[in-house]
Amino acid sequence: MYLVAHVDTKVCSETACKLCTQYCPEANTILYDNDMKTAFIAVDRCKACEICVSVCDNMAKHNAIKMVMISDIDHAFEMSKFGFRPNEWDHIEKPSVAVAEVAATGSGKD
Amino acid sequence: MSFDNLKMSPALEKYMTKEYRDLVERGPYGKQKKVSEMGTFKEILEEHPMCAGCAMTLFIRLTMIGLPSPEHTILVGTAGCGRLALTQSSIPFIYGNYGDTNAVASGLKRGLAMRFPDQPKDVVVMAGDGGLADIGFSAVMHSWFRKEKFTTIMLDNEVYGNTGGQESGMTEKGSILKMAPKGKLFEKMDMIGLAKTANVAYIARVVPTNPTRVASTIRKAVLIAREIGPTFIQAYTSCNIEYAIPTPKVLDDAKEVETSRYGFMEIMSDEAREFLESLEPAKKAKGKKSESEETVTAS
Repeated sequence: MYLVAHVDTKVCSETACKLCTQYCPEANTILYDNDMKTAFIAVDRCKACEICVSVCDNMAKHNAIKMVMISDIDHAFEMSKFGFRPNEWDHIEKPSVAVAEVAATGSGKD
Repeated sequence: MSFDNLKMSPALEKYMTKEYRDLVERGPYGKQKKVSEMGTFKEILEEHPMCAGCAMTLFIRLTMIGLPSPEHTILVGTAGCGRLALTQSSIPFIYGNYGDTNAVASGLKRGLAMRFPDQPKDVVVMAGDGGLADIGFSAVMHSWFRKEKFTTIMLDNEVYGNTGGQESGMTEKGSILKMAPKGKLFEKMDMIGLAKTANVAYIARVVPTNPTRVASTIRKAVLIAREIGPTFIQAYTSCNIEYAIPTPKVLDDAKEVETSRYGFMEIMSDEAREFLESLEPAKKAKGKKSESEETVTAS
């Protein structure tokens, strides 16, 4: 198993900083849903460099992104499966992680 | 190349890959995309094999957002890390031999200007510090002295990252690397100074800590290269492998380097400044026009 970045959509949707989408070195990996006003990760493209985590913690100070085991994410978004279709994004259930699991396997920050 | 060339023939559409269809339908073509819109449109850059957390990839990604018309651009590159990502984009990429990128680009630009007199075609050289400052040095200098109208972008990671960490001309004095165990003995080459000597129309030094600034710098450089003359951008894109930077700290390192020795710098000739200013009102009018067009289609 391996770690991928995971955006807490509840925290993210309350802000509109979009910094992680700009600083991610991978193209179309952190996507932004304009309807739900949240960023989310295409897990099949994430290389787990944690730049988004440091951007969200230190630059934006929202602490919305954590590194999570891929197997702990429900409804993980895969670009190869769904393709880049922003119109259909609000029909897809957003990736989520049970809170206890985040605490257990999170990046260990804070 | 033009957007028409990218479009799919309707009969063959179903055979095209998902990624390609997304790019044609939801790509950044036609309208200049902003950095803040990233993540809501399909990018020109695709998945690529560069290392996790590479600042060079971040810079390349932002470059592709900044290009004024990606459908009319050709990239020229050479051996080095950058080409791993540059080849995974929908912009034609010419793999020059080591050392001849700027010579290839000179011929290409002249040929394109002859073949397409009505449509400006942009040629952008993007290669590493080794490809431009060491091995391609003479071709770079000569293209500047000849006032060739294309953009040269140096992805300055201050090391030969692809071949195991040899020092390059752009490595900082004293840097200890795997293949430079005693530390580099000589000063970092002053490419900005050399560009000034060659009277390059637009010279910029950037660190990808401010995505909007990177995109606007690229845009300015490419636009000036269309009309005025050679442009040069030197970008600090750290190698987190050879300099052993933990990936979450890549941007902290970039910030530190930016404040200590690599601050943003922009040198523009008067002619280039006048040209950019002459574009401004046209750009505003154009923006208004496209907005009104949008409202028409929306209603």
